[in-house]
Amino acid sequence: MGKSQNGENLGTETVSDGGDEQNNPDELSSEPGFKFDQILKDVDQFIETLDSGENNFTCIDQFLEMVDSEIAAYELRKASAKFGLNMEEFFEAVKLLWTIIRRLEELPSDSGATSCLNRAGSEHHRAMLLLENEFRTLLDINTDRNEGETKLKTVEEFPYFSPESVSIMNRIGSTMIFAGYEAECCIAYSGLRLKALDAELSKLSFENINVDDAERMSWESLEVEIGNWLHIMKHCTNNLFSEERTLCNSVFSEHPSIAQRLFCELSTSLTMRLLNFPNALVLPRQYSTEKLFKFLDIYEALRDLNNMEIGNYLSAKEFMSDTFTVQCRIGETAVSIFSQLENSIESDNAGRIPVAGGAVHPLTRYTMNYLKYACEYKDTLEQVFQKHNEMEGLTVQKVQENYIEKDDRFLPASPFALKLVEVMDLLDANIEMKSKLYRSPSLRYIFLMNNGRYILQKLKESTDIYDMLGHSWSRKRTSELRQYHKLYQRDTWSNVLQTISHEGVQVNGKVSKPILKERFKNFNALFEEILKTQSTWVVSDGQLKSELRVSISSVMIPAYRSFVGRFQSYFDNSKQAGKYIKYQPEDIEELIEQLFEGNTTSMIRRS
Amino acid sequence: MTGTDTQSSFLGRISIRRNQVNAMDGSHEQEIEDLDLFQKQVSDRFAEILSAPDDTPFDAFLSISWIRKLLDVFLGCEAECKAILLMGRDAAQISKPPLDRLIPELLDRVVKALDICNAIANGLELVRHCQKLAEIAVLALEQKPFGEGQSKRAKKALVSLISAMHLDDKEGSAHKTTDRNWSFGRRGGNKDRPLFGHYKSLSWQVARNWSASKQIHAMTMNVVPPRGPEASGLPSLIFIMNLIMVFVMWVLIAAIPCQERNGLTTHLPIPKNVNWTHTLTGLLEKIGDEWKKKEKKGMAGLLFEMQKMEKLGQSLIDFTDSFQYPGEKDKVEEAAKQVAELAEVCQRMEEGLGPLQMLIREVFHRLVRSRTEILDVLDQGAKSSAPLV
Repeated sequence: MGKSQNGENLGTETVSDGGDEQNNPDELSSEPGFKFDQILKDVDQFIETLDSGENNFTCIDQFLEMVDSEIAAYELRKASAKFGLNMEEFFEAVKLLWTIIRRLEELPSDSGATSCLNRAGSEHHRAMLLLENEFRTLLDINTDRNEGETKLKTVEEFPYFSPESVSIMNRIGSTMIFAGYEAECCIAYSGLRLKALDAELSKLSFENINVDDAERMSWESLEVEIGNWLHIMKHCTNNLFSEERTLCNSVFSEHPSIAQRLFCELSTSLTMRLLNFPNALVLPRQYSTEKLFKFLDIYEALRDLNNMEIGNYLSAKEFMSDTFTVQCRIGETAVSIFSQLENSIESDNAGRIPVAGGAVHPLTRYTMNYLKYACEYKDTLEQVFQKHNEMEGLTVQKVQENYIEKDDRFLPASPFALKLVEVMDLLDANIEMKSKLYRSPSLRYIFLMNNGRYILQKLKESTDIYDMLGHSWSRKRTSELRQYHKLYQRDTWSNVLQTISHEGVQVNGKVSKPILKERFKNFNALFEEILKTQSTWVVSDGQLKSELRVSISSVMIPAYRSFVGRFQSYFDNSKQAGKYIKYQPEDIEELIEQLFEGNTTSMIRRS
Repeated sequence: MTGTDTQSSFLGRISIRRNQVNAMDGSHEQEIEDLDLFQKQVSDRFAEILSAPDDTPFDAFLSISWIRKLLDVFLGCEAECKAILLMGRDAAQISKPPLDRLIPELLDRVVKALDICNAIANGLELVRHCQKLAEIAVLALEQKPFGEGQSKRAKKALVSLISAMHLDDKEGSAHKTTDRNWSFGRRGGNKDRPLFGHYKSLSWQVARNWSASKQIHAMTMNVVPPRGPEASGLPSLIFIMNLIMVFVMWVLIAAIPCQERNGLTTHLPIPKNVNWTHTLTGLLEKIGDEWKKKEKKGMAGLLFEMQKMEKLGQSLIDFTDSFQYPGEKDKVEEAAKQVAELAEVCQRMEEGLGPLQMLIREVFHRLVRSRTEILDVLDQGAKSSAPLV
């Protein structure tokens, strides 16, 4: 008659015969020879009544025999599937064995317990060895699926352990720790988890790169590596670390401080591997400006890494210090790349040849678009520049220029905002310098308006830049543009207006025909000259273009209409009039519409 | 840090003299003076660490503590060298020949040294792993009463320890799969089988085909003492710095396990007829001899603590092998002494490994910073000609 695990008689239970007894350790205890429960009872009682006098260690011997057989049976079982559903009993026996050992150790050495203790110690080590090996097998998920042998039931996601596996590992871990083998357990765990993490990184195409090699890489190759690294980092900060922590907590659920320590050590090791690459970006000096964004990406990935909570254990300090150092270095690189922008602007001489037609200069476009893109990383850049100032011991002077108006308040500008202002000032100076290459003052003003307007447009498109530069900066710009507009108008059109001024046409109270003829001649010449030239000029901003045309028209057309209206009757006949009055007011209106189109062939009506 | 006071006063002296010089081209005499002073500093410092007093065995040659001192000396020399090179000089001065060749070469060597630092940092993980195994052995062997269970436990840990020490030399590259020969597929599996598997998890963090011995060899190329009119002044300074750097890196590689050290050269281009190099030459010979002796047998590096651990470990394995309860009294006593020694080695490792790891990182970052600073100065002189990357 067999007994079930809890000692009840079950009539239907089949009795294992002697030949099977080695194959089923879970039911070993139901063998008649062992009387499991009885043995446990005896042992418990024995421990209770243990004294330094005569002790009969027979029940201990029996217990040891039983444990020995159980261990032997488990050893024969297939690796990684040793412990089934009924493992609890075995673990309890192992724990009990340890308890016995501890109690026996307390006895004085002459109590005759020593040889029993020795045997118990041997059994204990054997049990621990069994547990350790099973622990290792369970942990060593072979991630190289090509090996063919799929041994454990696994799940698809990292860390690939089934809940049953984790549960068994948990029991093993607890038992080993309880029984004084914490060191072996932790070494096994750390070693195999590190191996698994390395394998996981391999799957993500992680490769160690030498500093030496990185130094020689072309930017194209480096960019690929950076992209790969960023991808891996993301996976780590989003998944790997948290999964690993969960695993630690699950396997060592009864020992949170051990879980914490192991996780801390593992994350530090993992981080050291990840930091090798950014550390290897030891940086040949001059990275051109577009490279900025990759470095900002790296900076952000490192910042995310740094923000991970990995606990307070000692190795965490190493983790944080190294992450922090490399993050700073990358930040410094970003600062120096951004500063390249200033160099580029200052040294852009355009070869002393002005842009045709006074159009928006490529440098203006480049700079504004660059800044717009850069401001997508605004928060990171703020941090980077803040840090840079701290490290250089720079402090922002509390002078008026360093305050930015925002929402009607004056706030101190951040280091990055000040940098932005610097760049804008440099750009301004450069545009100013380039404008002087134009000999025609009018073209100069058009050029200044074009570029100024473009800058303001871009500002409107990016609230970040706008906010950083502040309202007063934009206001100043806008009023400057208005000024240029006025100056242009005066420079180009005041002479023309003079030709159609009513004053000075009369001599001695009478309209002088020669003067009139002269006036019209001059008007035509000047106007045509302007048309010829200024049609080739470019104003790409639609609004600016129409503003200019409208303001010209609104002055020119009424003046012309009134002049023509007043004086055309003084010509002898329509033929003569037609000779001098080449244009009707409507013609003037149409022709003004041709201005600033950038046409290389001028379309002047010949009559 | 050893010698911080002497270092700071050295730097102070230099900066004062810089300010005194009116002519910005830095008179040659001053250069020579600086150089002499520097040479003396180097010589003194290395002599200091060579003479370890006998009564403190754990500051012995090539111990963790000794290596920390060596690295401190290195950092001090590096700082002074950089100061002499850069203080009060502009780009023009340091980019004229032969410096236009020597300085970039120096910076290249610095980059190679960085890889060595990484490899060493990695190797220290192995050392720590050995420490943990040794601690298990100590724990088991110190048990009272001591029985066969504890003996077997200690033996298992020690066997793992010894095999971990020898694995690194045979298998250099990362990502080799473990052979799972420790699984218990057979009946009555060998309980004492050493567990090869777990060390492989500490894979090397350097590139797959990287070789420490090749790296050192590359670093020694073109390290020649300057001749003729260049012999004094900055070229000499650079030569000294190269020498020190190569030497220190070489010592680290010899002491601490790292990838692929087969064929590590025992010749470094240290000139023999110059008086300040005596100490370096002496150290080189001593370490070189040890290396040659042990290399054939395969070993985990000449680190004093590791060597001791190996010796004690082997002896204690023999003890546990033949141990039968209750054990022979004299053997047990002998073992107890060795266990106590082993415990002390572990203690030294516990105290010293952390700081050593941090020191290696510091060396790494310092080299990066110095390299950047030197490049910055060179940049200012060659602004327009440097190609934009």
